[in-house]
Amino acid sequence: MKRADVLLISIVLIAALAFLVPRWLSNDADKGGPGKELKANITVDGKLFKTVTLTKEEQTIEVRTERGYNILKVHDYGIEMFDADCPDQVCLGFGFITLPKQTIVCLPHRVLVEIASGAGEDEVDGYVQ
Amino acid sequence: MGMSSSESATALKRTVIIAIFAAVAVVLSIVEAQIPLAGIGLMPGAKLGFANIMILTCIYFLRGRDVFVLVILKTLLTAFLLGTLSSLLFSLFGSMFSFIAMFALVKLGRKKFSVIGISIVGGLAHNTGQLLAASFVFNSTSIFYYLPVLLITGIVTGIAVGFAVRYVVDSLSRISLFEEFLNGPGH
Repeated sequence: MKRADVLLISIVLIAALAFLVPRWLSNDADKGGPGKELKANITVDGKLFKTVTLTKEEQTIEVRTERGYNILKVHDYGIEMFDADCPDQVCLGFGFITLPKQTIVCLPHRVLVEIASGAGEDEVDGYVQ
Repeated sequence: MGMSSSESATALKRTVIIAIFAAVAVVLSIVEAQIPLAGIGLMPGAKLGFANIMILTCIYFLRGRDVFVLVILKTLLTAFLLGTLSSLLFSLFGSMFSFIAMFALVKLGRKKFSVIGISIVGGLAHNTGQLLAASFVFNSTSIFYYLPVLLITGIVTGIAVGFAVRYVVDSLSRISLFEEFLNGPGH
């Protein structure tokens, strides 16, 4: 390894941590919970399909398009991809998401699930942290 | 038009090397696909980038247009075997991004960067390229939420790939097939 390598690694690490640390610190403040349920926007191919409120009660949302189906499950103030017939199944690996700006993506079906930011309004360019 | 016999022998050797490298890259991708990364809590879709070993090694031996052919071959073959049409477009975007970044760095900065730094840049460029493609498809930048995590995993896999490339280049340099490419673009 040369000096430029070490410099490159440190710069990238610092940049990544600069994004991650505020996220860890602010976790509790804007987390959903009783009385302040978050909303999740489901878009298909860039167009809004549905906005769901993340409740404690279980809800099942089916997204059926000509590309295939995705089944999402809402429970305990979060949402997860429960089943899909896409070939790669990557979307199932995103797990259960509960925090604003977290996303679940199914590339083959062009389905994007994004939890709206704490205030609940639709953000156009929500990447200022 | 007329190629001397030594020129056509070199051209044949290039073709053979590209074919072997493409085959190994595809096998590495298949091996990699068997490793369940999501199971150990990593970002879904994150890959180890084994195939990058062959592409980076190729940059060290052959010309840019040969590596370009290798990248296209590897991406098409892998997509036919493992992926779908949409994943083909994404991996093509990521691979080209990564190839251009690594090739530029080998050309411009190889005195400053070792093979490890170059492989890290390749991995990061691949991740960024795919996220860019995804953000175009979804018309949304929210997918960049995962960039910081991908940067960190990209560094780790980049270091591993870099060490592998160092060994592969050393070993191949001792094979007679590669002799005349030793002073190629990467050296």
